[in-house]
Amino acid sequence: MKTETDNLQPGQVEEPLDHLESSTEEHELRLPDKGSARRSQRAEVWRRLRKNKMAMIGLFIVVLIILTAVFADYIAPYSYRTQHLERRQEGPSGDFWLGTDDLGRDIFSRIVYGSRVSLQVGFVAVSIAVMLGGTLGALAGYYGSHLDNWIMRFMDVILAIPSILLAIAIVSSFGGGLVNVMVAVGVSNIPIYARIVKASVISIKEQEYIEAARAVGAGDARIIFKHILPNSLAPIIVQGTLGVATAILSAAGLSFIGLGIEPPTPEWGAMLSAGRHIIRRAPHVTTFPGLAIMITIFALNLLGDGLRDALDPRLKQ
Amino acid sequence: MKRALLSLAAVIAVIAVAGLTIGCAQADPNTKAENQGTLAVVMPSDARSLDPHATNDQPSARVMKQIYDTLMYQTADLEVIPGLAESYEVVSETEFVFNLRQGVKFHNGEELTASDVKFTFDRMRSEGAPAAFLFAALDEVEVVDDYTVRMTLNFAFGPFVTHLGHTAASILNETAVRAAGEDYGRNPVGTGPFRFTEWRSGDRITLDRFEDHYRGPAASERVVFRFIAEDANRAIALETGEADIVYDVGPNDFEELAALDTVTAFQTQGLTTFYMGFNMNKEPFDDVRVRRAINYALNVEQATDVAFEGFATAARGPLAPMVQFARGDLPGYGYDPDRARELLAEAGYANGFSTSMWTNDNPVRVMYAEIFQEQLAAVGITASIEIMEFAPYLDRTAQGEHDMFMLGWVAVTGDADYGMYSLFHSSQFGDAGNRTFYRNEELDELLDVGKADPDPAAREAAYYRAQEIVFEDAPWVFLAFRDDLNATRSYVEGFQPHAAGHHILYQVRNN
Amino acid sequence: MHKYILRRLFLLIPVMLGVSFVVFTIMFFTPGDPVRVMLGERAPEAEIEAMRERMGLNEPFVVQFGSFVFNAARGDLGRSLVTRRPVFDELYARFPATLQLAAAGVLVAVLMGIPIGIVSATKQYSLFDGMSMALALVGVSMPNFWQGMMMILLFSIVLGVLPSSGYGTFMHLILPALTIGTSSAAIITRMTRSSMLEVVRQDYIRTARAKGLSERVVINQHALKNALIPIVTVIGLQFGYLLGGAVLTETIFSWPGVGRFMVDAIRQRDYPVVQGGVLLLALTFSVVNLLVDILYAYIDPRIKAQYK
Repeated sequence: MKTETDNLQPGQVEEPLDHLESSTEEHELRLPDKGSARRSQRAEVWRRLRKNKMAMIGLFIVVLIILTAVFADYIAPYSYRTQHLERRQEGPSGDFWLGTDDLGRDIFSRIVYGSRVSLQVGFVAVSIAVMLGGTLGALAGYYGSHLDNWIMRFMDVILAIPSILLAIAIVSSFGGGLVNVMVAVGVSNIPIYARIVKASVISIKEQEYIEAARAVGAGDARIIFKHILPNSLAPIIVQGTLGVATAILSAAGLSFIGLGIEPPTPEWGAMLSAGRHIIRRAPHVTTFPGLAIMITIFALNLLGDGLRDALDPRLKQ
Repeated sequence: MKRALLSLAAVIAVIAVAGLTIGCAQADPNTKAENQGTLAVVMPSDARSLDPHATNDQPSARVMKQIYDTLMYQTADLEVIPGLAESYEVVSETEFVFNLRQGVKFHNGEELTASDVKFTFDRMRSEGAPAAFLFAALDEVEVVDDYTVRMTLNFAFGPFVTHLGHTAASILNETAVRAAGEDYGRNPVGTGPFRFTEWRSGDRITLDRFEDHYRGPAASERVVFRFIAEDANRAIALETGEADIVYDVGPNDFEELAALDTVTAFQTQGLTTFYMGFNMNKEPFDDVRVRRAINYALNVEQATDVAFEGFATAARGPLAPMVQFARGDLPGYGYDPDRARELLAEAGYANGFSTSMWTNDNPVRVMYAEIFQEQLAAVGITASIEIMEFAPYLDRTAQGEHDMFMLGWVAVTGDADYGMYSLFHSSQFGDAGNRTFYRNEELDELLDVGKADPDPAAREAAYYRAQEIVFEDAPWVFLAFRDDLNATRSYVEGFQPHAAGHHILYQVRNN
Repeated sequence: MHKYILRRLFLLIPVMLGVSFVVFTIMFFTPGDPVRVMLGERAPEAEIEAMRERMGLNEPFVVQFGSFVFNAARGDLGRSLVTRRPVFDELYARFPATLQLAAAGVLVAVLMGIPIGIVSATKQYSLFDGMSMALALVGVSMPNFWQGMMMILLFSIVLGVLPSSGYGTFMHLILPALTIGTSSAAIITRMTRSSMLEVVRQDYIRTARAKGLSERVVINQHALKNALIPIVTVIGLQFGYLLGGAVLTETIFSWPGVGRFMVDAIRQRDYPVVQGGVLLLALTFSVVNLLVDILYAYIDPRIKAQYK
């Protein structure tokens, strides 16, 4: 029964996984281990995912958002920075489908271009977290003992600091801008991936084929990167999908308090924030970017849930 | 497994009890509806300290203005009249004698004497008060007798008497300050019409009427200051009657509020000048043609209309109209992109250049920057926008790392010296206020005359010419003079906005 | 068990040291002079320098950090640079508001989450189940600062029934509590549902059903009790999370809690407050976690055995 708590909080990165340390280890991962089996396994996962209607809806929306980002230049009727100062704060109309903002810029176009920013922030931040967290987790899991202790205590430290405050402090320290926001959001999410990877590494490293690799003289690095990490992929993919959602939310939160990305970059959180002092007069300026964020997160969550079920069918009801 | 149910119940109970008892203990509706005689005032942020020597920020000044009195009294129209000093005598350019009012009581019952005045100014300097620079000219304060004080200056300083009306010069009670020690900022004692009662950090400050105030008791029994940072939420608080008075109404909310029968809205001229400065130590801003070109390239009027929703006047010179000796007759640059291109070409930038505009994260300034970015692009100048937090922003502009930057300046005392000296005198580079690193010898001399000369006519002439020079040299793009927007419920009587923003609540009442 | 608790308490010390170190390092290298913020943009350089010296800000990193740790260990967190009051007093004044909001948020979450979760589980794949699961997902997908603004728009501006900001009465608590509680409610709903479903699949429930007990009895008497174990845990964890995560909600509703205060402190470079505040939040979070673990072990003896 206790094994259930680990996968239940999509998008809620702040969830402390602390108490699970003893229990996650035996559980997280149960994949066929041989490389040759991997391909057929992928097909199996895809088959299961396809049967899940909700997950497919999520996937569809995510793909749609990615396409929007790629083809923003063709979709957006205006540039994200063109101002129509004589037509400010207008509600939705034929000219401006979702109305105009404080500077008379087309909100629809800005949301379309904003998908680029949000996706970029989400994926890059998660990649940073996965790379750093994954490496630390793999080291901790593979070498164990003192190194493990040091790394995991350090993770406890980061987990104990409220992640939004940590991100705010990092951005304050290094300044705003796209790159720093991605780093800040990424860093505050490191511990989750460290824990996941550590758990999988521990469950895999004693398996026969690893022993076999070691017997034929493979070095530690080779074993970690070639054999162990690829087999930890499933939980990382699941958590990563949900993590992108959280990262987008965190970046929007940073922009909201004025620490985000430089104008005129159309970041959704910043757009929403710019509308908050005119919420009485022009609520659409706040409403639509918020909806954009919500739909994106919603779709990522659907997809993440579906992936989890597909990768680990035991958990599916 | 009953344990599980029990535990759940226990967890919920503990959390609920912990949270809600604290909540109930603190519940205390202080709204007007239930409480006549109480003024509910809402402003954007909490005070920092009620020790006038610990801080020099507006929210604190707004509260201190009710608790303390000053030797001179600055009325809402910036007229300086006698306050705690009944009269004063100008012995010489550098010597003043003040005659204190007799029988003035502090909130702790003590009577005001000359020694409190001396103590106040001595402490201001020994504590390194943030506003001590206002009294840089002051050399010594002497107690002549219980009700007479002599002040001598190091050098002649025209606005000295005006500065005595600033909240930073609030007169303290020596006994109270010593008794409270480090915690004086939370236990202020003054002679003002309201005495301090309670401070709930981040939420509210409560003041009660001081019955023994020397001018007679205030019109209201109690004043409660509350803090709501969001513009829209402040407007809602007034609309719903939760607040009687709201300071700093957002420009976007003002018209809607003014249209309501239940609300009286006040639009008044303020003392703030907004500007975009050039770093004159850097190319190409060392060339006056480039600075003028940018002044021509920007449609300041339009940008001001947008950024302030029309509640500001586009600036044509450095001093806000309310400030002493401000000139209303400067022509201004106007919007003329063709002229801008010509000047840029003359200066050797026919193809424009790349530069950056810095601002802190103040939404109005960011808006200006975004509008200017487009207008500069139209004359070939590519300007990126960099947004910083206020602290590093001040640091880095003082160091001269910037190209162009946005700031505002409040001439709190309404005096031209305050409004120009720090900003344009070449002795004030960097932190002191001259972040454009502007140097003009003729201007320096004029500002020196204005600072020291006791003769108003000579001062006027000096500032008259000084403003012209600044206009021609264009160290700034002159942006706007913002209007102050405040509003009260219509049943509130006697509210008159103070141009410096710390409104006087002595005679304000709700019926 | 006692040993385990002691060990965990002991482990708090290095973690808190680490937290202090991380925060101290970040703030140490953050640009922007706190004294400049404190004395205002017009203060002369000499005065600034004197003040820096007086406050020990010119000391090297190690000395500053050392004296912070030494003083903090004695319960002295220093004085705020902005208000010049003891940091402890500042935090103490604001912590109740944060606690109250977190508690109200959890209450909202529990009152919504558990009933909906149970009904969803008993009627798996029904319309109600589908709707509530979709809603729960929406709940976790909404940025809560946006949700807060939308609620202000609806309840304060359009309907005019609830105050948009401020603190003190029950009415003031409603919107912030709903805002902060929504995502927790969604999480608890999902948790309750899957936990119930898991339990229902167990042998003893089948046995109970086979014995011919009514569905209501089966659910109430058998399934629910067992399903509650992980739920209790999640509630505790959510409480810990809400204590530290209310920054944006507090900002929107002008709620005088620790979160908003911390953001202001970071931006004003009020280092002592940042350090003290983060330490407080981290400690609260860790202690709540520990309590949750202990509770968990208490409910489920199998785990207790593990800790021995």
